[in-house]
Amino acid sequence: MTSTLRYVTFWLPIMTTSLPDDMDALFQALAHRDRRRMLDILRDRPGCGVEELTREFAFTRVAGLKHLKVLERAGLVVSERQGRKRALYFNVVPIQLVYDRWATEYSALWAGKLADLKYTIEGNEARDGDESQVERREQDRRGA
Amino acid sequence: MATSPKSSVESKTGAGPETVARERRVFKIFIRGPIEKVWHEITKTDEAQGCFYNAWLNTTGLRVGAPVQMRTKSGRFALVVGEVTEFDPPHRYAHTFRFTTEDDPPCLVVYDLKSVTNGTEFTLTVENVPVGTKTDKAMTSGGTTIVTLLKAIVETGKPPLGTRIQYALMGAMEGVLPKQARSENWPL
Repeated sequence: MTSTLRYVTFWLPIMTTSLPDDMDALFQALAHRDRRRMLDILRDRPGCGVEELTREFAFTRVAGLKHLKVLERAGLVVSERQGRKRALYFNVVPIQLVYDRWATEYSALWAGKLADLKYTIEGNEARDGDESQVERREQDRRGA
Repeated sequence: MATSPKSSVESKTGAGPETVARERRVFKIFIRGPIEKVWHEITKTDEAQGCFYNAWLNTTGLRVGAPVQMRTKSGRFALVVGEVTEFDPPHRYAHTFRFTTEDDPPCLVVYDLKSVTNGTEFTLTVENVPVGTKTDKAMTSGGTTIVTLLKAIVETGKPPLGTRIQYALMGAMEGVLPKQARSENWPL
């Protein structure tokens, strides 16, 4: 009896909360520079096709499809068949769930202000991608 | 559409003819709950819909061609008006959508529900969003809010505390809404 009670009140909650959650797939998906860049592109071009997207990268079509699969499994990309074309869309919701998990309304206010300060000082592009990309764009601009 | 990486940066600044374009936005979420419960949350008319900013769904009966409105609790204001274009319980529901406070052209809102292991996959698609308008801004930030609220409500029974406080304030401040949104201007 007591062991059942102990199980229900103690072990069960621990075991159910430590189950691998959807966020494993999410962080794995985000842990790659090219996949983050794919999301940048899809955010700016909703409905972009697979060809159009993978053309932006040096890797092969097969590798591109692999990256896409990882992004889709994490819920970050939603695809829809439109005739022969597969239209891709960025889904921001999983990222919002990460934010909701750790940011409270008060911390969000101040963290948001600090982030804005960073963007103001570093230029708005800091918001748009990995730092190396920002540098690369800087170099492009200087070269142009 | 141009495909160089540079053009994607430029289009974000809003320059060029693309700004008048119509776009589609997709918001997808997994909800740990049965499909019927999710369906009920987005179609109920007997209480406020917590996932839609506590609006009351006002309609002559949900079926294709029927008018739908999102009204405030008192019924004095209609904030959103539209018409049902698809109704297939509990899988798909779609209606046109326009804010009564804006002159933006209407867009189309589609809700897709799919029963999966341990829950429901919910997709909110907004089609024909007039890019760069106030409707666009509201739909882009609102889409995420709606699907995460729907998840919270189905899984925990109510919206998070911060949202409930916000709803209480919104209810109290109803009088500040523009005259244009008064329900008498929007008969069903």
